[in-house]
Amino acid sequence: MSTHSTTSSNKAVGDHFRWARYSTKERVARSLGYLVVGVLLYWSLSTVDVFWPWVWDAPAQIGDMMFRMFPVSFVQLNPILFALVESINIAVLGTIVAVFMALPIAYLGAQTVTPSKLTLWLARFIIVATRSVDTLIWALVFVAIIGPGPVAGILAIAFRSIGFLSKLLAEAIEEIDWGPVEAMQAAGASRAHVITYAIVPQVVPSFWAITILRWDINIRESTVLGLVGAGGIGLIFQGAIDMFRWNTVSLVLIVIVLVVFAGELVTGVVRRKLM
Amino acid sequence: MLQITDLVKSYNNGEPVLKGLNLATDERRLTAIIGSSGAGKSTLLRCINRLVTADSGRIELDGINILELHGKRLQDTRRQIGMIFQAYNLVDRLTVMENVLSGRLGYVGTLRGVLRRFPQSDIDRAYALLKRVGLSQYVNTRCDSLSGGERQRVGVARALMQNPRILLADEPTASLDPKTSERIMELISRITDELDLPVLINLHNVPQARDYADRIVGLRYGVIVFDGGPQDLTDDWLEKIYAGHEDDLKKQMKVAGEDGANE
Amino acid sequence: MSDSTVHYRWKRPHFIETPYIRYGLLALAAIYLIFALSTLRVNPQRIVEGIPRAINMFRGAVPPDFESRGGLIVRGFIESIQMTLIATAAGVALSVPIAFMAARNIAILPIYAVGRMIVVVARSLHPVVLGVLFVSAVGFGAFAGILTLIMYTLGFVGKLLAEAIEEIKYGQVEGVRATGAGFFATLAYAVFPQVLPRLIGLSIYQLDINLRASAIVGLVGAGGIGATLNTAFGRYDYATASAILLVMIGIILVAEGISGRLRGLTK
Repeated sequence: MSTHSTTSSNKAVGDHFRWARYSTKERVARSLGYLVVGVLLYWSLSTVDVFWPWVWDAPAQIGDMMFRMFPVSFVQLNPILFALVESINIAVLGTIVAVFMALPIAYLGAQTVTPSKLTLWLARFIIVATRSVDTLIWALVFVAIIGPGPVAGILAIAFRSIGFLSKLLAEAIEEIDWGPVEAMQAAGASRAHVITYAIVPQVVPSFWAITILRWDINIRESTVLGLVGAGGIGLIFQGAIDMFRWNTVSLVLIVIVLVVFAGELVTGVVRRKLM
Repeated sequence: MLQITDLVKSYNNGEPVLKGLNLATDERRLTAIIGSSGAGKSTLLRCINRLVTADSGRIELDGINILELHGKRLQDTRRQIGMIFQAYNLVDRLTVMENVLSGRLGYVGTLRGVLRRFPQSDIDRAYALLKRVGLSQYVNTRCDSLSGGERQRVGVARALMQNPRILLADEPTASLDPKTSERIMELISRITDELDLPVLINLHNVPQARDYADRIVGLRYGVIVFDGGPQDLTDDWLEKIYAGHEDDLKKQMKVAGEDGANE
Repeated sequence: MSDSTVHYRWKRPHFIETPYIRYGLLALAAIYLIFALSTLRVNPQRIVEGIPRAINMFRGAVPPDFESRGGLIVRGFIESIQMTLIATAAGVALSVPIAFMAARNIAILPIYAVGRMIVVVARSLHPVVLGVLFVSAVGFGAFAGILTLIMYTLGFVGKLLAEAIEEIKYGQVEGVRATGAGFFATLAYAVFPQVLPRLIGLSIYQLDINLRASAIVGLVGAGGIGATLNTAFGRYDYATASAILLVMIGIILVAEGISGRLRGLTK
């Protein structure tokens, strides 16, 4: 897209030069792109089900809400912190469960090492199915099955993470240096030995990087599980909203921002250590 | 001992790389295989331990046709064939000791191997081999901090850990600088002499083949065109083996220690 | 060659050499795990009761029913797509000035602090949390969803674009500045062209993630297919719910494919 070719459009006309940034073909392609974007936007804006007077009123409403959030009330600090710890526990435990389930799926889903076409497709199916359903929807399902509480949240986090972890881990396995694998095979090593000596040591750094990345994402995801009854700080958030306790809502938000920020710091430190 | 008969191999149904090749080694000596790139040297060695599967023919080690083996029996035969690779093929993130011990994986049970619980005799042997190749001070060093020459020494020790009946070496010195390359060749030739071990070695360096080999095999487009002692390998023969690849030959004639011949 | 009189001992070196630290960390991890597991209120009876419930749910979900609420499903998805398009366009447009504010090499410290804070807050809050807030501020429906996705876009595109701005080659800026160009002219000629490819790539990627998010903000009342799904779940209409989920997976996969293809084109 950034080919700055000017040759075809710079023609001398009489004593003057004409200059244009893009050639005719590029300009046509660009105009078409803009046109498609414009038409899509126009269609969306003109047909979307929005009550426009509310839109013009929105800045005032949002301002009013933010105004009500201050001063922050610390009355509910203790239950908030307890719920926060639960959220973090859900994220950690969910990630651990997901890691254990993702390892075999990643092995089966890596084209270079999977035993057969059937196992490859089975693994790919699991990866797509778990990745494409959001954590919150998994939470709805598990709350319906095993009832409200953090266990449903852990399972929801775990199921959404399996696909994510397996996909990235399978890609890491596909990218390993094949030489050591051949060396082990040449020495007469069995499949289990090839895995533990030639494959595992090579994917260990990616494994930790991927797991930490997902853990960081899961911290954020675990904050909303409570909204559907799957444990954690989301429940208190929903309660405060329903009771119009805006000064408590603001405390919950601040706590969430701080925790997610801390999670990012931890992730950054660990990642630098791993490099 | 090793008897190759009518070996044919082609990749993706293309022109065969090996065209009905016959080769036998049963003496305890170092056989060098030379030839231009694309002559099929690598393919030949990799057919022997089944890293690639030949199309037809027979490869017999002590009377057992390797091409017909599967599963556990293939593993048992592979552990009798040691291999040294051009790119060393060590596991970088494991220690020197673990890499050397991995040569015993064909012998130890699954659980023992996974848990790194090798028999004491294996550990003694690994120490002795590391001492022999001059790396005993690096036992617990990770391989990614070793130099190229040191890595290849680990590669040699790992191959010998297998207690092999025969040693294959696929251009073991091609990734090294001339001086190190010479040392590694010396090591391989001496140590196999001590162990009375037959060696099949692909070389891209003709002077090295002349210096170290007892027998030289010239491969050209998947066919053996020369087979004899180093004294028989005249310049005429070299021209025949490398006809059409004269640049290749010139590069390969470079003697160790020459300016910057670092490949 | 092995020396039979001397035996060597070898143990695999540990990842952490100092035993105190090694066992200390292991103990800490174990204590944390025990604590975390002990806080879970597992009700075995409830889980046993859940098994027939799960079977019922599964029976209800198969085969999926695309027909009886077909109109609602189609309308839901169209609304999700509309929300995605509007929010991505508006969000990206807003992200540009905010990214410049949040780039340390462009903005002066007070502006940087404000820009950075907007980005951090928008990134930290899950779209569903934002959705709840906007629903209570402006009411149920697509508009709350659009606002949510705009904030979501700000957090993601704003952060990555700011990082791209911080990594620009400064020589080009000096070159333009040397011609006597002012602050905004310098931004337009020396900074913006360097990050434009990244911005386009990010926008297309964001389109894809916004579509995913648009499906779930509806669960808290912010419009789109999520609202339809929530209703289906609330009515125990699992056949419709599974139909919605299947279509959702299909659309997400297609969108991912298109987004990947488009990003490939812009490289």
